[in-house]
Amino acid sequence: MTEKLATKRNPPKWSLWLRGLDEWLLIFQKVSGAILAIYLIGHTLVISTALGFGHPSQLTWERVIGLIEGPKVVGVAHVGTIIEYLIALLVAIHGANGIRLILMQYFGLGLPKPERHTYPMIPSPRKSPQLVYKYLVIAVVIVFIILASYVAFVG
Amino acid sequence: MGMVAKSTLMKWHYITGLILVVVLGIHLAFRWPSYEASIQWSGPHGVYEQLLNIGYMAAIFILLYAATYHAMNGLRTLLLELHQGRYWNTAVDVVIIALGIFIVIVGTVALVGALQVI
Amino acid sequence: MSSVKAGLKIEVKRGTFTFRVKRYDPKTGDYRWSEYKVEVTNRQTVLDALLKIKSTQDATLAVRYSCRMGICGSCAMVINGVPRLACETKPFELGTDVITVEPLSNLKPIKDLVVDMDEFFEKHKSVKPWLIRRDEGEQFEKLDSYYVQTEEQLINYLEFAYCIKCGACYSACPMVFLNKNYLGPQALAAAYRWSADNRDEGYVLRLKVIDSDNGVWSCHYSGTCSKVCPKGVDPALAINLLKKSLLTGKPPAR
Repeated sequence: MTEKLATKRNPPKWSLWLRGLDEWLLIFQKVSGAILAIYLIGHTLVISTALGFGHPSQLTWERVIGLIEGPKVVGVAHVGTIIEYLIALLVAIHGANGIRLILMQYFGLGLPKPERHTYPMIPSPRKSPQLVYKYLVIAVVIVFIILASYVAFVG
Repeated sequence: MGMVAKSTLMKWHYITGLILVVVLGIHLAFRWPSYEASIQWSGPHGVYEQLLNIGYMAAIFILLYAATYHAMNGLRTLLLELHQGRYWNTAVDVVIIALGIFIVIVGTVALVGALQVI
Repeated sequence: MSSVKAGLKIEVKRGTFTFRVKRYDPKTGDYRWSEYKVEVTNRQTVLDALLKIKSTQDATLAVRYSCRMGICGSCAMVINGVPRLACETKPFELGTDVITVEPLSNLKPIKDLVVDMDEFFEKHKSVKPWLIRRDEGEQFEKLDSYYVQTEEQLINYLEFAYCIKCGACYSACPMVFLNKNYLGPQALAAAYRWSADNRDEGYVLRLKVIDSDNGVWSCHYSGTCSKVCPKGVDPALAINLLKKSLLTGKPPAR
């Protein structure tokens, strides 16, 4: 047998990524972004159909939305309500984390200045501005979940 | 999209992101206090009332265009991260631009038509 | 030999650890696990243990190392799930009796713990990590004065100049896993290190590479690179400073 160079890379260590909030947010940002982009296409098509493509009427609206909403599941919530509720959660997390990235990368808010090494070295993702950011993301998402749950299931 | 610098695309990605926080926030806030009531045609929080609200409709128009750009640029970035190749890159650009134009046209026709009738 | 300083006592502890080593076999193209039990002291490193295994138990175990003191960057490997330098990691400080040792992820294996660093170095090279001057004649032929640099100007890039190209960050980065052509934390940090150097004039040349589909834009500041870096380089910070430069149109502070 001859020895040959591998063509595939060594597999990643998922355990390294799944234990930190930063990495969760990254994976979540990618996955939720893809889902939301596909949802945008569907949502535009559904609402445009319900609005009769420029010829809106109560009849078309109620027929299309009634079809999309489906049967009732819990309380006032239909199947469609729950899907929209989950999509709204994705929006909240994607948006909260997105704002963190924009403020940091566009405006440099919370991005430390390079400095001379002092031991022990603390990487910038573990410095306080980043921690504040991440706790704010969590807080915003929790508040959103409370409001959204009220709107979807109670109101 | 070789002719546009990636930083230009991404700058608009970030700008539309900021815009989306506002307009998507408005869009979601109009579900208050009840999601069920907000998707009924008539009623105090219903769709008809929403269509009459010029400020809200302006936000919806901005939302349509900003979200389409943000989503299509994001989708393109993701597709190019998953795979790259001469034909793949061109195909991704063509599909993304076509899809974006399609969404914008469908959405604009529906919204403008709805505004004219009401 | 006794300690030179009076009163300084060096406590030596001994312990036996089980090393589970993930090995790539280039003949079959498969991975397999080997287990070795080896006694080490609290002053020895994982690299010492691997070399002890190599000399006393299994001579076929392939491992790459050079300086044994955290300077050359040859012995980076995934130890207990985290990319680290084998020569800077002590079994006693890991806190587990069974220590797993794997080759760096995101890189192609050659044999056992040795990985092919070619693509990593190619990417490093692609950002032109050297001093670029507009006037090459002045730089290489009639250099009759020093390029002056103040303390403040030094600190702008010093943090990123400590990189030893060990590949730990590259191995840890989730975006390198997703996008095979992504330049990765090391190359982009090097791009920042040279662009933020006041003696350098090559920022514009590097833009073409860093401002592309495979450049800085893949980074989401998960900071895994910075957390695993054995030298305290903060690649995530460098990438995000580059992004800020590209977005605002202002070159890096220098």
